[in-house]
Amino acid sequence: MVRSPHSESTRRPSGASPLSALQPIDASPFRQPAHPLFVWSTVLLAWLISFLPWRDWLAAPDILLLVIAFWCLNEPQRVSMFTAFIFGLSMDVQDAGLLGEKALAYTLVAYGAVALARRLHRFGAVIQAIHLLPVFVFSAMATHLIHAWLAGEWGGWQWLWSALFTAVLWPVADILLHMPQRRLDETDHRGAV
Amino acid sequence: MQENRTIRLFRHGPTAEFRLVVLVVLSLSLLVVDARWRALDPARQAISVVLYPFQRLVLAPRDLVENFNNWMDAATVARAEKEALQKQRIELAQIATHAAQLSAENEQLRRLLKVADTVSQPSVAVEVMYEPPNAFVHHLIFNKGTSDGIRAGMPVIDEGGVVGQIVRVTPFTSEAALLTDDTVSIPVQVLRNGLRLIAFGGNVSGRVEVRYLTANADIHAGDTLVTSGIGGLFPAGLSVAKIEKVERDSATGFARALATPLSHPERYRHFLVLRVDVSRMPSPTSDPEAQAHGSQPAQ
Repeated sequence: MVRSPHSESTRRPSGASPLSALQPIDASPFRQPAHPLFVWSTVLLAWLISFLPWRDWLAAPDILLLVIAFWCLNEPQRVSMFTAFIFGLSMDVQDAGLLGEKALAYTLVAYGAVALARRLHRFGAVIQAIHLLPVFVFSAMATHLIHAWLAGEWGGWQWLWSALFTAVLWPVADILLHMPQRRLDETDHRGAV
Repeated sequence: MQENRTIRLFRHGPTAEFRLVVLVVLSLSLLVVDARWRALDPARQAISVVLYPFQRLVLAPRDLVENFNNWMDAATVARAEKEALQKQRIELAQIATHAAQLSAENEQLRRLLKVADTVSQPSVAVEVMYEPPNAFVHHLIFNKGTSDGIRAGMPVIDEGGVVGQIVRVTPFTSEAALLTDDTVSIPVQVLRNGLRLIAFGGNVSGRVEVRYLTANADIHAGDTLVTSGIGGLFPAGLSVAKIEKVERDSATGFARALATPLSHPERYRHFLVLRVDVSRMPSPTSDPEAQAHGSQPAQ
């Protein structure tokens, strides 16, 4: 699972600007951008986890894809389609597959997240997951069709499960990866009531 | 909002669609090139070298646990192994006497026939680093590469016989396609009567296939296939597979036989790579068709 390390260290110092006093008027739960260190450490952690042998089960969710898609949606300035492409390429080498296979799938998912961003930001994590399921399925399907065309063999249907599990884990990723930015105001408020 | 950086009023750079098109075209061309030619192998090797320390780092806990377990079990395993080995030694002693006699006789006959002597192969012991999670291919990644003298095309064996063939090497790792993979084909012969055949992997999972036999070919279930040595890559006499059934198709006039591999790549972690001379192999780049079928000139 993706952990959220150093939640304290990545929190932005409060009162950095005199304008921060005005913030409680804003109702949205998180406004501050995620710390770049946190973004990249989660991506790297997911990347390293992908080297472990648990992915031998072909229906296993793609944690790296999930994290990259999440940051493409929430931090498009830092994690872009290019990042997705590079990490996909590294996974191609790791999996001894054709070069460009995962790179294509990751790029397509990253684009899906970027293209749906304005819509997705209006919804909660569960609805976002439902929106992203077809994106995961389509990208995996495109890759498998191209592989079938190039290599003349069909890799089975396990990837459908993989896409489904990845989408199911989206709300979990949402909770974990947003944890360091969640403002204390909310919990304070709840404690007071 | 409170980040200490200049506020960007306008988004710079190309649009998302443009980037998508560029990256998709790039990955598609990579895919096509990688599926057809070997041109991208240097790039793959470079990425692999970068990944290697991370792979070792991540797999370190697993190796540690395994070593610890081995150490804890050492006494029990050693005792069991000792018993098995003693039993084996007695059995082998008989065979060895017999073999010595046979090899002396064989040498004499070879001298009579003026046949060149077979040479023993230098080899490298390798350990499986991981099994890539890939729905399409059944490969193994070993922990040694070109720095230990491994080259693409070399055969991999275990105590049961041929396991597969090295298909790709990087400086520190090598990738082997199993016998049952469709990229591997091995020149074999039936041990019982010397009938020369080519064993292919691929069509039936976990099985080796011998295709295009004439309907009256003398081959039965239970026959053992050994490498014939034709083609120069696999030394003669390594066991490959046992025939499971022979299917005769009256429509085409050909028969095909399905065989179960005698090696067990799924059971152990250590294998032997035979350092055969792969320089005589036809260059993969010059003939993509031959390369696609395990680089066997005996096709």
